[in-house]
Amino acid sequence: MSAVGAKPQAGGAMDVPATIAGIILLLVIIGATYFLVGPGLMFMALIGIIIGGLAIAFGVHFVPVGGAPAAMGQAPGIATGVAMLAAGAGLAGLFGGAWAAEQGLIVAVVTGAVGGGLLMAITCMFVTFIYVYGMGIPCASGKVAKDPITGDTQTEFKSQGTEGHGLPFVSYVGGVIGGLLGGGGGTLIYIMLLDVYKEALPGMMGALPAQIMPVAVSMAGIFAVGMFLVNAVLTAYNITGTIEGPHDPKFKRFPRALVASAVASALCGMVAILIVAM
Amino acid sequence: MESIAFGIGITALAGALATVAGAAENTESDIGSQGDPNSQVQLAPQMGFLHRIFNKAIAGEPPAYGLWICLGAGIAWAFMAMQINPVLALVLGSALAVFIQGVYATTAYLGRTASLAKFGQPVFVDVLKSMTTVTMAHAFVAIFTTVTMCHLINAALGHPFPLPLLGLVWGIALGAAGSATGNPFYGKERQYQSQKFGAGVPISASGNIVRYAEAGERNSLDNGWFSAKLGGPASGLCFGLIVFLEIWRTVLFEHMGAGWGAIIVGVIIILIFTVIDRYIEVWARKNYGPYAKPTEEGS
Repeated sequence: MSAVGAKPQAGGAMDVPATIAGIILLLVIIGATYFLVGPGLMFMALIGIIIGGLAIAFGVHFVPVGGAPAAMGQAPGIATGVAMLAAGAGLAGLFGGAWAAEQGLIVAVVTGAVGGGLLMAITCMFVTFIYVYGMGIPCASGKVAKDPITGDTQTEFKSQGTEGHGLPFVSYVGGVIGGLLGGGGGTLIYIMLLDVYKEALPGMMGALPAQIMPVAVSMAGIFAVGMFLVNAVLTAYNITGTIEGPHDPKFKRFPRALVASAVASALCGMVAILIVAM
Repeated sequence: MESIAFGIGITALAGALATVAGAAENTESDIGSQGDPNSQVQLAPQMGFLHRIFNKAIAGEPPAYGLWICLGAGIAWAFMAMQINPVLALVLGSALAVFIQGVYATTAYLGRTASLAKFGQPVFVDVLKSMTTVTMAHAFVAIFTTVTMCHLINAALGHPFPLPLLGLVWGIALGAAGSATGNPFYGKERQYQSQKFGAGVPISASGNIVRYAEAGERNSLDNGWFSAKLGGPASGLCFGLIVFLEIWRTVLFEHMGAGWGAIIVGVIIILIFTVIDRYIEVWARKNYGPYAKPTEEGS
């Protein structure tokens, strides 16, 4: 079978030994951090970072990504890579969240989430706009016969020799949900790290809290961007190529990505915290 | 009141800069054939279709633009720290970042095309000479406008992120918006112009891109001319709206309801775009197709 004709298998089953190994690794990292920094702000920050990472990994599964076939109208979704689109949305969310950081954790995280959702809403609308008015192609899913939200039938709008094209409404909603989760998760990681650095850096560098603010913001921002990319790329490997959104059979693979992302976020979080704790 | 008026002015300026950036970014990536449609430019010689299209898929557009705009912003930031006039610093930073883009574009074209040697695809030196500078010029517009926008957000609106980090964040968002909006128009509508309008490219036609123009062989400048008609402006509008609405809701509504005002406005904007999207989708279903009788099973 050629690479073009090969249908990716859904394969949502969890690999039990790998899952157990992942959970043990996660507990070891959490335990090691607890042992090194004790209970308190830094430990809670690690938990927040893991939750943020989980939100990002889960959110990326919602984003309808068609990759190269979507650019030719051969498959539904947005014509770009999984990790890239999710990163674009999540980082736009982080931009808004960081701006609202002074207004408290909940407001900042929700602001970040709405920022990510906003980017996805506008982008997905323009994707539909280009497909419909620029290329004369209606939206049609290749994975389901009916749109689960609107009930629109899909197969009769598919062009011959393609797997579908454009963004059916369920994919649009998936994209916005993905942006919301990505933006919120990225902002949560940023705020957690910012709190840690604001607390630890003045003593470490012998400076006033106001003086270390630019350093703290930059470090937290860079680590948040990095952890966002770690989680988005990990999830992209789990998706393998393209996904249509929450109705795609590949969506069921998300538990695997959650375990992997929890371990990766915990490890990255531990490093990010220990650079100021040790 | 004055600060709000100032904020709105800066927001409008940032939105306008972002619109230009989005349009230039998409046109640059289409002339350079950088986004997902490049898979077909790379595939064509393997299927026996030799061509004169530029081929510089350095990376996906979002990480590539993340790098260039972060570089431009970083260098501009360093110049500003050396007390150089900000306008000059922004121009110099962007210009230096464009040279990096030019180096990447050159090596990418030579490397990718050389890898197709066994399929008989030649490296055209005149293509390299004439296209690289055009992509660099478009990249300069995209980088300069985005770096300037980031500088406005940082210096005038007081966003806490330093300039290079803002450059990275908005560079990745620029690439994401530009590639999502503009790629299908270049990939389907231009590269497969000979295929039926109003239908996706059949998988069996992959690689059979259009290689001839009105006179002679088609080159990437023709592609830039074509995508500048819709893909580029649509990408620009998309990125401009993202930047404008994101900053607008923060500047105007941040202080209402202890931060919840901006959130509620954001949710309303998302709902408005959802309604527009659904309207376009239903409009297409009414006007195009159906192409076959409805069946119950999906594929």
